[in-house]
Amino acid sequence: MKKLVSAPALFVGAGVLLVIGALLAFWYAPIDASSMGFSQKIFYYHAPIAAAAIAAFGVAFVAAIVYLRTQDLLWDRLGYVSVRIGLLFSILVMITGMIWGKAAWGVWWAWEPRLTTFLLACFLYAAYWVLRSVVDEEQRRATYAAVFAVVAFVDVPITFFATRFLPEGLHPVVVGPGGGGMEGSVALSFAVCLVGMLLLMAALIRRDVEIELIKDRVTDLKTSLGG
Amino acid sequence: MTVEEGARYVAAVYAVIMAVLVAYYIISSRRVSALQRDVQLLEEETRRRQAQATEAGAE
Repeated sequence: MKKLVSAPALFVGAGVLLVIGALLAFWYAPIDASSMGFSQKIFYYHAPIAAAAIAAFGVAFVAAIVYLRTQDLLWDRLGYVSVRIGLLFSILVMITGMIWGKAAWGVWWAWEPRLTTFLLACFLYAAYWVLRSVVDEEQRRATYAAVFAVVAFVDVPITFFATRFLPEGLHPVVVGPGGGGMEGSVALSFAVCLVGMLLLMAALIRRDVEIELIKDRVTDLKTSLGG
Repeated sequence: MTVEEGARYVAAVYAVIMAVLVAYYIISSRRVSALQRDVQLLEEETRRRQAQATEAGAE
């Protein structure tokens, strides 16, 4: 872990990009010509936050597989932290998505494919936390959590592709053929915001893994001292 | 909603989100510092007890 980029470096990089991204989104990218108008600019942070949530769940999925192969608790800690950060970003996705929904569709919530499958992912990853809290023995908890993280991740590609396979939904396709074709200034602003948000997600995961490893060290030292 | 109202509204939501994420990072960083202090104290205590045990063994 020490060989990786430090959390402060990632955090500074994320901060710089997010500030530039905000400036580009608010002043460089054009105001949407549709009825949404300026409210459409929510897109520049709603979609990157969603991408960061999905990426965090992806990290949890990879960590779970590596843990099941190696039984190294470092990967369990990485998976646990990634789910926590993924859920934090998911809550922000839900909040910004509801604001978007109110501005674009006139409703705070709609039971359409993308929103419903994303809500299901949130419930699944919340259940991951519940599962961890009910198993005491460390290796067994890590194994159950890893298996659950692999199963829960099945919903993530379904969420991602829901707008493509079920086009009757309200949610637009952000990037891909047939929808979301972004012009230069929009694509640049979006890309900067996206990279900034992914770096912020990486900084938070990096920092929280550090916390978990130090907590393990404290537990070991207390045990060796007899309490 | 006018452009000015929309701008204020969107910027306010953005500011709140960034404040949440930055606060989370700062709280995590303070937690790291506190835990590192704990590790340092526990390691000192471990070394002290090991030194005591060595001295007792020598006597």
